[in-house]
Amino acid sequence: MIEETLERWEPVIGLEVHTHLATKSKLFSPAPVEYGDAPNHRVHVIDLGLPGVLPVLNERVVELAIRLGIAVHAEVNLRSVFARKNYFYPDLPKGYQISQYEDPVVSNGWLDIELPGDDGQLETRRIGITRAHLEEDAGKSIHDDAVTKGRGTHVDLNRSGVPLLEIVSEPDLRSASEAGAYLRALRSILRTIGVSEADMEKGQFRCDANVSLRAIGTEPFGTRTELKNLNSFRYVEAAIEAEIERQGEILDEGGSIVQATMAFDPDTQTTRVLRTKENADDYRYFPDPDLIPLLIPADEVERVRREMPELPDAKLARFVGDFGLGQADARQFTESQELAEYFDRVVARTGAERAKEVAKWILRDLLQALKQLDLSLEASALTPDKLAALLELVEKGRLTPRNARDLFALLVEHGGDPESLMVERGLEAVSDEGALEVAVQEAIDANPKAAESYRAGDQKSLNFLMGQVMKKTQGKADAGTTRKLLAAKLGG
Amino acid sequence: MSLPALTLALQAAQLSSRELSSCDLLDAVLGAHAGRGDEANAVVGLRAEAARAEAVEADERLTRGEPLSRIDGIPVLIKDNMVQRGEETTCASRILEGFVSPYDSAAVTCLREAGAVIVGRSNMDEFAMGSSTENSIHGPSRNPWDLERSPGGSSGGAAASVASGLVAGALGSDTGGSIRQPAAFCGVVGMKPTYGRVSRWGLVAFASSLDQIGPLARTAEDAAILLGILAGHDPRDSTSLAEPVPDYCSALDGDVRGLRIGIPKEFFEAEGADPVVLEVVREAIAELERAGAKTLAVTLPHTPYAIAAYYLIATAEASSNLARYDGARYGHRSKKARTLSEMYTLSRSEGFGTEVKRRILLGTYVLSAGYYDAYYRKAQQVRTLLRSDFEKAFEVCDVIATPTSPEVAFRIGEKSDDPLKMYLSDIYTVSANLAGIPGISIPAGFAHELPVGLQVLGRSLDEATLLRAADTFQRRTDHHAQTPRGWLR
Amino acid sequence: MSADLGQILGYVEKLQELDTTGIEPTAHALPHRTPLRSDEPEAPLDPELAVSNAPQRAGTAFVVPKVIGEEGAG
Repeated sequence: MIEETLERWEPVIGLEVHTHLATKSKLFSPAPVEYGDAPNHRVHVIDLGLPGVLPVLNERVVELAIRLGIAVHAEVNLRSVFARKNYFYPDLPKGYQISQYEDPVVSNGWLDIELPGDDGQLETRRIGITRAHLEEDAGKSIHDDAVTKGRGTHVDLNRSGVPLLEIVSEPDLRSASEAGAYLRALRSILRTIGVSEADMEKGQFRCDANVSLRAIGTEPFGTRTELKNLNSFRYVEAAIEAEIERQGEILDEGGSIVQATMAFDPDTQTTRVLRTKENADDYRYFPDPDLIPLLIPADEVERVRREMPELPDAKLARFVGDFGLGQADARQFTESQELAEYFDRVVARTGAERAKEVAKWILRDLLQALKQLDLSLEASALTPDKLAALLELVEKGRLTPRNARDLFALLVEHGGDPESLMVERGLEAVSDEGALEVAVQEAIDANPKAAESYRAGDQKSLNFLMGQVMKKTQGKADAGTTRKLLAAKLGG
Repeated sequence: MSLPALTLALQAAQLSSRELSSCDLLDAVLGAHAGRGDEANAVVGLRAEAARAEAVEADERLTRGEPLSRIDGIPVLIKDNMVQRGEETTCASRILEGFVSPYDSAAVTCLREAGAVIVGRSNMDEFAMGSSTENSIHGPSRNPWDLERSPGGSSGGAAASVASGLVAGALGSDTGGSIRQPAAFCGVVGMKPTYGRVSRWGLVAFASSLDQIGPLARTAEDAAILLGILAGHDPRDSTSLAEPVPDYCSALDGDVRGLRIGIPKEFFEAEGADPVVLEVVREAIAELERAGAKTLAVTLPHTPYAIAAYYLIATAEASSNLARYDGARYGHRSKKARTLSEMYTLSRSEGFGTEVKRRILLGTYVLSAGYYDAYYRKAQQVRTLLRSDFEKAFEVCDVIATPTSPEVAFRIGEKSDDPLKMYLSDIYTVSANLAGIPGISIPAGFAHELPVGLQVLGRSLDEATLLRAADTFQRRTDHHAQTPRGWLR
Repeated sequence: MSADLGQILGYVEKLQELDTTGIEPTAHALPHRTPLRSDEPEAPLDPELAVSNAPQRAGTAFVVPKVIGEEGAG
């Protein structure tokens, strides 16, 4: 079992992520980037690798690469070079892929991941990012007999030429769950800064893992294998664990690991060798003579830095520091750009002092209501302004928290103006002593035992009586006033 | 109908005065081609009907007095490596037989927008790899001056078609001399512009950092007209230069007084150069001196290394550029292929000729791990040294004059068994491609009754000076007006 | 073929005579600004035209002999 393996062996894991950049056209051709078309319906002559075609770089990818570089605290190299990676495959129309080799656009960065440590507390680990570079995606080879009717392989070049950023981590990860955490953090960054939608189902965020083991306490790396095309977080972690176990068993028996490309079988939860890599492939990289090196002006990097959307860890720090939110709550906001924006807009109206309350309303009440109604945040009629208005009513004592929650549900589904709705439904809080007196007296009279308890010193009975008053007044009784009246009448 | 005037400029004048129509010119081309059966085998794909329709449209414009350009209605040839929508482009290779392009090259678009009538494609060495136009599935082209001899290569068909009088202008491509050397062998003008001056969009790539399209014609003026049509920035070509295009024709003032001509000793000392050829070239340079130019000795010390650097860089780039010919999406696919692997190996083995295979193997080797530094990277460093040779020389002179070729046209078959020998004949032309500078070859005289070319090289983007020198020379000599035995008119 | 290649390789060894220490390799004769294309998509090629030269096709897909077992070379 893996626990046994981990007693003797330390996993060393590096991840390579290929992410589709959020552009409208391809990396070197003006064909549109979309998903799910019939074969070869979204190609330009450049994507077909026809004789005589030439590549021209999409300016948008430069901006996106710079953003990613800044977001992972890396160096944005002001001069990077496109290189040809030469090999034959049907989905590679030119017989080479335009990528970057010796001089990538981004290098030497890092990001922090958080995982529960042995004591259950969250620990931060810094994972190095060796480099990130631009390259074009290949097309698709379809081997599925259902499509090809057993005759040959179909080749669809719609995806050929789509812009990718390949992000390579240092082999700093030490477990499958660290790998998962790294991927989640990276994905969150990519989405937050608008570099990629990173939708794994659309194949916009693909991961390869390099896994090796070394004896605990030793330095040199063991032989590694490569797990390719892991396209869900679950699979990544399961595949890495399966591979760790597999390697551990071999090493325990005194065997040695053969360098290979592995495939993960989710049904059996095991990895198997796809092909061995005794000799590294020779891609005969050389600078692409059809392209000029990518020269980025230094002030361009500065401009992008200034205009960067707030990064997840900065947001976390702000929500915890400025607003006093707990780590767990703050984290929920950093994972959703839209939720965070929603929060910011409500707090802009209510003020930072009420931030914690706002957070509770959003994370508890709003999310629950959305779930129940099966609505997205966008589709909900409860805009940040309306929520702020609702909270203002509570703050001013015009609405009790309990009635606010009822109103809330209505607002989420149907919208409307909180104040008008409150009046319409007759939910306005009552704080007038005269009006409440009757209800208070009735509550005391109907519950003599509770009244006695309170006089004897039991505070809880007061709450019980307050609840009774609430019932009688359909929740409209103002808490403060009610408490005051009860206390006075009970002589406490 | 007799058409003695055979320059673009004169044809344009005749069209303008309506002495002749575009259809008349086209008839003359088609008639000449049919009559002698294209002895030189210069043309590989005549598009008579389509050309006729274009000639008719041109005549309508000319009648209205609204020509699109100076060459509106004039028949020209493109080389079989420049794609044209709806037409076959083979690059003289089996692997592209039957390939019909869905898009136009920039060169074709330029010609079309100028109203020129593209009559067909000219023969070439397969994928532009060769110096003799013998490596072609369409059979070798022949030199109109002596049909047993090569017209040079790889733009041999283009040079032969102009030399034989079939057309007044043709486009060629030059990677290591493939416009200039055939121009020299055939006694016509051929120019390779500065790298990046003419768009490579739609030019089937051989060596991306060296290839350029250029004109072949009888006179410097015609070359200037064609260059003016072709030159300019193209956003579809990332290596295309954005500098504005001057009016090349207005530079032809016939005045070379004070022009400083550098004579590089390395080019006149080369082993194996025919001394008669060298003498003709020296005399041609003397003519320019008599016109007021000054000569001075310069040195290009890295010249002996140019061929080696060229063949390393060109074959490396070619091996990658030709990887797309795999039988998957277009071109030849072997009928014997049952597996994917066989599709690649058999299609390419059947589809490529020997010289192309040789260069792909060499290029693959040059780029492979362990050899990249010693070969490819080294060659690129030598390239830097060659460029700085030229930069230093151009500090003291304006142009450099050399022979275009160390010899006159050789017999067909004479060199085809010795590839290295064939490569060495590029000795005078490759440096310009490596340095990216422009060069022109002009008919300078005759040796052994065969044409000799004078090559003039210039600074980057200084095509105007080269054309001016060439035009001046042609005002004072008549070598370019001589016609060969294979004259078609 | 191999004799020719051997001869050619022998010839290019010449370059080793030159000391190129510190010399930058030239990838291009031109130094200039990186040419860029704005991120505006253009209408794609008519799919029929895209496969019009295909030696074998199925609808608008290219067909090649079956790839056995491989999931991508690179």
